[in-house]
Amino acid sequence: MTAELARDPASLVFLQLGEALRLQRQLDAAARVARSGLERHPDRPDALDLYARVLADAGNRDGARETWEHVLTLAPRHVGALKGLAYLAYRERDYDAALDMLETALSEDPADQTVVLALQTARAAADRLDAEFRLRTGADIFAGIEGADHAILLLDARGLVLGGVLRDHRGLVVSEEVAAYIAGAAQEAERAARVLELGEWQTLECEGTDGHLHVSPPARDAILLVRRDRAVPAGRVALLARRAAAAAQAWLEAQAG
Amino acid sequence: MKAERLNPALDRITRVRGVRGAMVVSADDGLVVADALMEGIRGNAVAALAGSLAARLGRAAAVTDAGGQRFVHLAAEGGALLLLAGSEGLLIVAVTDHHVNVGLARLEMQRAAEEIA
Amino acid sequence: MKARVIEPWLMAPLERFVRECGARLTLIMTPSGQVLAQYGFTRAVEVMSAAALGAGIAASTAEIVKMLDEPDFRVLNHQSPHHGIFLGRFATGRGPLLALAVYGADTSIGLVQLFFEDLVADLEAAAPVVAPRGPVLAADFERDLNESLATLFR
Repeated sequence: MTAELARDPASLVFLQLGEALRLQRQLDAAARVARSGLERHPDRPDALDLYARVLADAGNRDGARETWEHVLTLAPRHVGALKGLAYLAYRERDYDAALDMLETALSEDPADQTVVLALQTARAAADRLDAEFRLRTGADIFAGIEGADHAILLLDARGLVLGGVLRDHRGLVVSEEVAAYIAGAAQEAERAARVLELGEWQTLECEGTDGHLHVSPPARDAILLVRRDRAVPAGRVALLARRAAAAAQAWLEAQAG
Repeated sequence: MKAERLNPALDRITRVRGVRGAMVVSADDGLVVADALMEGIRGNAVAALAGSLAARLGRAAAVTDAGGQRFVHLAAEGGALLLLAGSEGLLIVAVTDHHVNVGLARLEMQRAAEEIA
Repeated sequence: MKARVIEPWLMAPLERFVRECGARLTLIMTPSGQVLAQYGFTRAVEVMSAAALGAGIAASTAEIVKMLDEPDFRVLNHQSPHHGIFLGRFATGRGPLLALAVYGADTSIGLVQLFFEDLVADLEAAAPVVAPRGPVLAADFERDLNESLATLFR
């Protein structure tokens, strides 16, 4: 390929030569070949794509990004540029952007297995990030427990929500307001148990005209509320509360760790 | 409200095994209306704290759509406090040990509330 | 929010009382109305006037009780729509004292009375014992009152 390029500098063989050198990690040589080819073919998308790939491998992400974006102005659905920009987005943990670009690339060339593999990798990373976020923010503390989406709330002793959600009969989220009141009730329970010398308080159950409340401290400085309709027997509420408490403890320990 | 109705009603609650004291409390004031207590139970403390706990939990129950408060069970390591809403702003209160049959105590408290009403 | 006290031993019992019963304003004073400690929303009332009036109420109630040949009163309570006013008498090693507490609807007379008893016990335990004093001269009283005012309004 070198000989052919020497014979005909305008030949497009520089694309294959540059790629071969890049794959052999001879990045300086690959860059020289790519630049030389661009002097003769400045607006050829493949040439720009090659150069961007060399820049990316050399650690010059800004240069690579600029070059691939230029490719897309010339060829909006250029698969190489889309893959390249998707790769940069993936490295920056912007998985949504990476997935968008890869899906566009796949629609342009459904047979491109590298795009298929890249999509699988980006999707897995996005799922992991989502799971980490949900674990960190408590959105999924009570996943799988009856009522998790509207009737279980974990709060701290100051009345601030840690996780879970409470909705009213209209389906509106009332978690913050409820947390404030439940913290007050828990404080009073603690005081009553202390002053009356009953020992550490364990649970506070309230049977109302329309529903049951079960309040307990799953850990120091944390309070768990489970609410159920009146039709649910009190014993079952207690059972659900124990499951929710175990989930809350596991989450709190993960946060502390 | 006459003492002859209150005292027998409270007496029946105290006959449930594990109940160490029973009281009628004015919920808003946290003051004792009538009591039947074992030695060592501080009636004025029970009344004040029961009233305060009922008030705080009542507000929480309202905002959680649990409705008006009927019965409260505070369980602690060494005992429990049971509250039952009576009429005219009264609470029927029982102080118990840890192993009390809560259902039975609640039944007697309910009967007491009906007699007092 | 910290208490203002004439003598340090008053601080901890007063803070505990306010924390537990939720009183909005508490004064501890002598039967003559001299304020020894105050805690709370003191701008809501003219503190010195409230102390003088509280002392007057305690003195007049004590006289009525004496006329009826009854043991001296210990607590008085007045309940208004939005506030309660509680007045309690008690003895310490430093002599008799009064506690005046103003409280709102977020607490109850039951709680105020409950923790008043704890306040009395705490103050009794904390009060240093002093030798009996001689007769109080008018000049001494004026000087003592001015000193206490100066401390409270420092």
